[in-house]
Amino acid sequence: MIKTTDLVKVFRTDEVETTALNKVNITVEKGEFVAIMGPSGCGKSTLLNILGLLDTPSGGQYYFNGEEVARYKEKQRTNLRKGNIGFVFQSFNLIDELTVYENVELPLLYLKVSPAERRKKVGDVLERMKITHRRKHFPQQLSGGQQQRVAIARAVVTRPQLILADEPTGNLDSANGEEVMSLLTELNTEGTTIIMVTHSPSDADKAHRIVQLFDGHIVTENIRQIL
Amino acid sequence: MKEICIPIPYLKDNEVAEVEVVVAGKRIRYDFRVESFPWEVENEFSSLSDPLERSLARIYKLKGAIEGYDKKWELIQIFNPDEHADHIHVLYRKRLKTK
Repeated sequence: MIKTTDLVKVFRTDEVETTALNKVNITVEKGEFVAIMGPSGCGKSTLLNILGLLDTPSGGQYYFNGEEVARYKEKQRTNLRKGNIGFVFQSFNLIDELTVYENVELPLLYLKVSPAERRKKVGDVLERMKITHRRKHFPQQLSGGQQQRVAIARAVVTRPQLILADEPTGNLDSANGEEVMSLLTELNTEGTTIIMVTHSPSDADKAHRIVQLFDGHIVTENIRQIL
Repeated sequence: MKEICIPIPYLKDNEVAEVEVVVAGKRIRYDFRVESFPWEVENEFSSLSDPLERSLARIYKLKGAIEGYDKKWELIQIFNPDEHADHIHVLYRKRLKTK
Protein backbone atom coordinates (compact mmCIF):
# COMPACT_ATOMS: atom_id res chain seq x y z
CA MET A 1 0.00 0.00 0.00
CA ILE A 2 2.82 2.34 0.97
CA LYS A 3 6.40 2.26 -0.17
CA THR A 4 9.10 4.87 0.11
CA THR A 5 12.50 4.73 -1.50
CA ASP A 6 15.35 6.86 -0.17
CA LEU A 7 12.91 9.43 1.18
CA VAL A 8 14.67 12.63 2.19
CA LYS A 9 13.32 15.73 3.91
CA VAL A 10 15.51 18.75 4.47
CA PHE A 11 14.34 21.89 6.25
CA ARG A 12 16.28 24.99 5.26
CA THR A 13 16.49 28.45 6.73
CA ASP A 14 18.98 31.17 5.73
CA GLU A 15 21.47 29.86 8.28
CA VAL A 16 20.69 26.27 9.02
CA GLU A 17 19.95 23.14 7.03
CA THR A 18 18.40 20.27 8.96
CA THR A 19 17.99 16.81 7.50
CA ALA A 20 14.85 15.47 9.17
CA LEU A 21 14.66 12.29 7.08
CA ASN A 22 17.68 10.69 5.46
CA LYS A 23 17.02 8.00 2.86
CA VAL A 24 14.10 6.40 4.62
CA ASN A 25 12.84 3.16 3.06
CA ILE A 26 9.61 1.89 4.50
CA THR A 27 6.95 -0.46 3.18
CA VAL A 28 3.53 -0.84 4.76
CA GLU A 29 1.18 -3.54 3.51
CA LYS A 30 -2.59 -3.16 3.40
CA GLY A 31 -4.14 -4.11 6.74
CA GLU A 32 -0.95 -3.64 8.76
CA PHE A 33 -0.71 -1.76 12.05
CA VAL A 34 2.68 -0.09 12.27
CA ALA A 35 4.03 1.95 15.17
CA ILE A 36 6.79 4.49 14.62
CA MET A 37 8.91 5.23 17.67
CA GLY A 38 12.04 7.20 18.43
CA PRO A 39 13.33 10.04 20.57
CA SER A 40 12.07 13.61 20.16
CA GLY A 41 13.31 15.25 16.98
CA CYS A 42 14.11 12.00 15.17
CA GLY A 43 11.71 12.71 12.28
CA LYS A 44 8.63 10.67 13.27
CA SER A 45 6.04 13.38 12.67
CA THR A 46 7.81 14.57 9.52
CA LEU A 47 7.57 11.05 8.11
CA LEU A 48 3.90 10.80 9.07
CA ASN A 49 3.13 14.17 7.44
CA ILE A 50 4.78 13.06 4.20
CA LEU A 51 3.01 9.69 4.23
CA GLY A 52 -0.25 11.59 4.80
CA LEU A 53 0.49 13.93 1.88
CA LEU A 54 0.43 16.93 4.20
CA ASP A 55 4.04 17.66 3.28
CA THR A 56 6.31 16.89 0.34
CA PRO A 57 9.70 15.17 0.49
CA SER A 58 12.88 16.92 -0.67
CA GLY A 59 14.02 13.75 -2.41
CA GLY A 60 13.25 10.09 -2.97
CA GLN A 61 10.09 8.32 -4.05
CA TYR A 62 6.78 7.75 -2.35
CA TYR A 63 4.38 5.18 -3.79
CA PHE A 64 0.79 5.14 -2.55
CA ASN A 65 -1.15 2.14 -3.89
CA GLY A 66 1.52 1.74 -6.54
CA GLU A 67 1.38 5.34 -7.74
CA GLU A 68 4.34 7.71 -7.36
CA VAL A 69 2.93 10.66 -5.42
CA ALA A 70 6.04 12.42 -4.10
CA ARG A 71 5.87 15.19 -6.72
CA TYR A 72 2.10 15.58 -6.68
CA LYS A 73 0.84 19.17 -6.74
CA GLU A 74 -1.21 20.42 -3.78
CA LYS A 75 -4.54 19.83 -5.54
CA GLN A 76 -3.60 16.25 -6.48
CA ARG A 77 -2.48 15.55 -2.93
CA THR A 78 -5.72 16.95 -1.53
CA ASN A 79 -7.76 14.79 -3.89
CA LEU A 80 -5.82 11.67 -2.96
CA ARG A 81 -6.14 12.40 0.78
CA LYS A 82 -9.89 12.86 0.60
CA GLY A 83 -11.59 9.59 1.36
CA ASN A 84 -8.33 7.61 1.39
CA ILE A 85 -6.51 8.87 4.47
CA GLY A 86 -7.85 9.74 7.90
CA PHE A 87 -5.84 11.66 10.49
CA VAL A 88 -5.87 11.51 14.27
CA PHE A 89 -3.73 14.07 16.07
CA GLN A 90 -2.51 14.37 19.65
CA SER A 91 -4.29 17.72 20.06
CA PHE A 92 -7.48 16.47 18.34
CA ASN A 93 -7.57 19.40 15.83
CA LEU A 94 -11.34 19.72 15.94
CA ILE A 95 -12.94 22.95 14.75
CA ASP A 96 -14.13 24.76 17.86
CA GLU A 97 -16.87 26.70 16.04
CA LEU A 98 -18.53 23.52 14.75
CA THR A 99 -20.59 21.05 16.75
CA VAL A 100 -19.55 17.42 17.14
CA TYR A 101 -21.96 16.46 14.36
CA GLU A 102 -20.66 19.18 12.03
CA ASN A 103 -17.02 18.28 12.70
CA VAL A 104 -17.66 14.67 11.74
CA GLU A 105 -19.78 15.67 8.74
CA LEU A 106 -17.08 17.94 7.28
CA PRO A 107 -15.05 15.33 5.32
CA LEU A 108 -18.29 14.11 3.70
CA LEU A 109 -19.12 17.65 2.60
CA TYR A 110 -15.72 17.87 0.90
CA LEU A 111 -16.52 14.61 -0.87
CA LYS A 112 -19.91 16.01 -1.96
CA VAL A 113 -21.85 13.18 -0.33
CA SER A 114 -25.62 13.66 -0.45
CA PRO A 115 -27.37 15.04 2.68
CA ALA A 116 -29.29 11.81 3.32
CA GLU A 117 -26.16 9.70 3.06
CA ARG A 118 -24.28 12.15 5.27
CA ARG A 119 -26.92 11.90 7.98
CA LYS A 120 -26.72 8.11 7.87
CA LYS A 121 -22.92 7.91 7.89
CA VAL A 122 -22.45 10.53 10.63
CA GLY A 123 -25.19 8.96 12.74
CA ASP A 124 -23.62 5.51 12.42
CA VAL A 125 -20.11 6.60 13.27
CA LEU A 126 -21.20 8.74 16.23
CA GLU A 127 -23.07 5.77 17.59
CA ARG A 128 -20.10 3.52 17.09
CA MET A 129 -17.83 5.95 18.92
CA LYS A 130 -20.47 6.22 21.69
CA ILE A 131 -20.71 9.97 21.29
CA THR A 132 -24.24 10.39 19.86
CA HIS A 133 -25.49 12.06 23.04
CA ARG A 134 -22.90 14.81 22.50
CA ARG A 135 -23.71 15.48 18.85
CA LYS A 136 -24.92 19.05 19.46
CA HIS A 137 -22.08 20.00 21.78
CA PHE A 138 -19.01 21.98 20.81
CA PRO A 139 -15.50 20.48 21.25
CA GLN A 140 -14.67 22.72 24.22
CA GLN A 141 -17.63 21.27 26.11
CA LEU A 142 -16.18 17.75 25.90
CA SER A 143 -13.51 15.90 27.85
CA GLY A 144 -10.22 15.05 26.14
CA GLY A 145 -11.28 11.45 25.66
CA GLN A 146 -14.57 12.49 24.09
CA GLN A 147 -12.79 14.95 21.79
CA GLN A 148 -10.45 12.22 20.60
CA ARG A 149 -13.42 9.92 19.95
CA VAL A 150 -14.93 12.70 17.81
CA ALA A 151 -11.58 13.07 16.02
CA ILE A 152 -11.52 9.34 15.30
CA ALA A 153 -15.14 9.50 14.12
CA ARG A 154 -14.15 12.31 11.73
CA ALA A 155 -11.14 10.28 10.55
CA VAL A 156 -13.15 7.14 9.79
CA VAL A 157 -16.48 8.56 8.55
CA THR A 158 -15.29 8.35 4.93
CA ARG A 159 -14.08 4.77 5.53
CA PRO A 160 -10.45 5.54 4.58
CA GLN A 161 -8.00 2.77 3.71
CA LEU A 162 -5.36 4.36 5.90
CA ILE A 163 -5.38 6.06 9.29
CA LEU A 164 -2.39 8.08 10.37
CA ALA A 165 -2.27 8.76 14.09
CA ASP A 166 0.26 11.13 15.65
CA GLU A 167 0.52 10.46 19.41
CA PRO A 168 -3.21 9.70 19.61
CA THR A 169 -3.15 9.07 23.37
CA GLY A 170 -0.58 11.76 24.20
CA ASN A 171 -3.12 14.17 25.73
CA LEU A 172 -5.35 11.57 27.35
CA ASP A 173 -5.53 9.96 30.76
CA SER A 174 -4.86 6.24 30.83
CA ALA A 175 -8.50 5.07 30.74
CA ASN A 176 -9.32 7.25 27.72
CA GLY A 177 -5.98 6.36 26.12
CA GLU A 178 -6.81 2.68 26.48
CA GLU A 179 -10.20 3.26 24.89
CA VAL A 180 -8.70 5.11 21.93
CA MET A 181 -6.19 2.30 21.40
CA SER A 182 -9.02 -0.24 21.51
CA LEU A 183 -10.86 1.71 18.82
CA LEU A 184 -7.77 1.86 16.60
CA THR A 185 -7.12 -1.86 17.11
CA GLU A 186 -10.74 -2.62 16.25
CA LEU A 187 -10.56 -0.54 13.05
CA ASN A 188 -7.37 -2.36 12.10
CA THR A 189 -9.00 -5.74 12.71
CA GLU A 190 -11.69 -4.67 10.24
CA GLY A 191 -9.04 -4.01 7.60
CA THR A 192 -7.98 -0.39 8.01
CA THR A 193 -4.24 0.13 7.71
CA ILE A 194 -2.87 2.13 10.64
CA ILE A 195 0.42 3.95 11.03
CA MET A 196 0.86 5.47 14.47
CA VAL A 197 3.60 7.65 15.88
CA THR A 198 3.98 7.10 19.61
CA HIS A 199 6.28 7.49 22.57
CA SER A 200 4.34 4.90 24.53
CA PRO A 201 5.76 1.36 24.55
CA SER A 202 2.41 -0.03 25.67
CA ASP A 203 0.57 1.66 22.77
CA ALA A 204 3.25 0.39 20.39
CA ASP A 205 2.67 -3.13 21.74
CA LYS A 206 -0.71 -3.06 19.96
CA ALA A 207 1.02 -2.78 16.57
CA HIS A 208 2.18 -5.64 14.33
CA ARG A 209 5.49 -3.93 13.71
CA ILE A 210 7.53 -1.26 15.45
CA VAL A 211 9.77 0.96 13.37
CA GLN A 212 12.47 2.76 15.33
CA LEU A 213 13.65 6.07 13.88
CA PHE A 214 16.77 7.85 14.99
CA ASP A 215 18.28 11.01 13.52
CA GLY A 216 16.13 10.68 10.40
CA HIS A 217 17.11 7.05 9.76
CA ILE A 218 15.23 3.82 10.31
CA VAL A 219 17.57 1.95 12.61
CA THR A 220 15.45 -1.13 13.16
CA GLU A 221 12.08 -2.70 12.41
CA ASN A 222 10.81 -5.02 15.05
CA ILE A 223 8.04 -7.43 14.08
CA ARG A 224 5.96 -8.01 17.17
CA GLN A 225 6.08 -11.62 18.21
CA ILE A 226 5.69 -13.51 21.40
CA LEU A 227 8.40 -16.13 21.70
CA MET B 1 -3.55 3.40 34.33
CA LYS B 2 -1.46 1.75 31.66
CA GLU B 3 2.08 2.78 32.54
CA ILE B 4 3.92 3.32 35.77
CA CYS B 5 7.30 4.92 36.23
CA ILE B 6 9.64 3.12 38.60
CA PRO B 7 12.88 4.77 39.65
CA ILE B 8 15.69 2.21 39.54
CA PRO B 9 19.39 2.49 40.37
CA TYR B 10 21.81 3.01 37.48
CA LEU B 11 22.21 -0.23 35.52
CA LYS B 12 25.70 -1.31 34.59
CA ASP B 13 26.35 -3.15 31.32
CA ASN B 14 24.60 -6.54 31.27
CA GLU B 15 22.74 -5.88 34.50
CA VAL B 16 19.04 -6.60 34.29
CA ALA B 17 16.20 -4.86 36.12
CA GLU B 18 13.51 -7.41 36.92
CA VAL B 19 10.08 -5.92 37.43
CA GLU B 20 7.19 -8.03 38.63
CA VAL B 21 3.68 -6.65 38.60
CA VAL B 22 0.44 -8.26 39.68
CA VAL B 23 -2.58 -7.10 37.70
CA ALA B 24 -5.97 -8.43 38.76
CA GLY B 25 -4.25 -11.36 40.43
CA LYS B 26 -2.15 -12.18 37.38
CA ARG B 27 1.59 -12.05 37.92
CA ILE B 28 3.61 -10.61 35.01
CA ARG B 29 7.37 -10.32 34.97
CA TYR B 30 9.30 -7.93 32.79
CA ASP B 31 13.05 -7.84 32.39
CA PHE B 32 14.56 -4.58 31.26
CA ARG B 33 18.11 -3.92 30.26
CA VAL B 34 19.73 -0.61 29.38
CA GLU B 35 22.49 -1.24 26.87
CA SER B 36 25.28 1.16 26.26
CA PHE B 37 26.52 1.07 22.65
CA PRO B 38 29.66 2.87 21.47
CA TRP B 39 28.70 6.14 19.80
CA GLU B 40 32.00 7.85 19.13
CA VAL B 41 33.53 7.13 15.74
CA GLU B 42 36.46 9.54 15.96
CA ASN B 43 39.16 6.88 16.37
CA GLU B 44 37.87 4.35 13.85
CA PHE B 45 37.08 6.88 11.17
CA SER B 46 39.54 9.64 11.90
CA SER B 47 39.25 10.88 8.31
CA LEU B 48 35.62 11.83 8.84
CA SER B 49 35.84 15.56 9.27
CA ASP B 50 32.42 16.21 7.73
CA PRO B 51 29.78 16.23 10.51
CA LEU B 52 27.22 14.62 8.18
CA GLU B 53 29.53 11.72 7.35
CA ARG B 54 30.34 11.32 11.03
CA SER B 55 26.65 11.27 11.85
CA LEU B 56 26.08 8.60 9.18
CA ALA B 57 28.97 6.52 10.50
CA ARG B 58 27.43 6.67 13.97
CA ILE B 59 24.03 5.58 12.68
CA TYR B 60 25.53 2.62 10.81
CA LYS B 61 27.44 1.65 13.92
CA LEU B 62 24.26 1.85 16.00
CA LYS B 63 22.30 -0.15 13.41
CA GLY B 64 24.99 -2.82 13.44
CA ALA B 65 24.92 -3.03 17.23
CA ILE B 66 21.12 -3.31 17.25
CA GLU B 67 21.03 -5.89 14.44
CA GLY B 68 23.59 -8.07 16.19
CA TYR B 69 21.85 -7.96 19.54
CA ASP B 70 20.40 -10.99 21.31
CA LYS B 71 16.99 -11.63 19.69
CA LYS B 72 15.48 -12.69 22.98
CA TRP B 73 15.41 -9.00 23.79
CA GLU B 74 13.34 -6.40 21.98
CA LEU B 75 14.26 -2.79 21.56
CA ILE B 76 11.95 -0.45 23.40
CA GLN B 77 13.62 2.93 23.23
CA ILE B 78 16.71 4.68 21.95
CA PHE B 79 17.71 7.60 24.12
CA ASN B 80 19.12 10.82 22.67
CA PRO B 81 22.82 10.93 23.60
CA ASP B 82 24.41 14.02 25.15
CA GLU B 83 26.29 16.27 22.77
CA HIS B 84 29.76 14.83 23.43
CA ALA B 85 28.73 11.39 24.59
CA ASP B 86 30.87 8.45 23.50
CA HIS B 87 28.09 5.95 24.25
CA ILE B 88 24.40 5.84 23.43
CA HIS B 89 21.85 4.20 25.72
CA VAL B 90 19.21 1.83 24.41
CA LEU B 91 16.44 0.23 26.47
CA TYR B 92 15.57 -3.41 25.82
CA ARG B 93 12.82 -5.59 27.23
CA LYS B 94 12.99 -9.37 27.30
CA ARG B 95 10.36 -10.85 25.00
CA LEU B 96 7.50 -12.44 26.86
CA LYS B 97 7.18 -16.19 26.56
CA THR B 98 3.90 -17.91 25.84
CA LYS B 99 2.72 -20.35 28.50
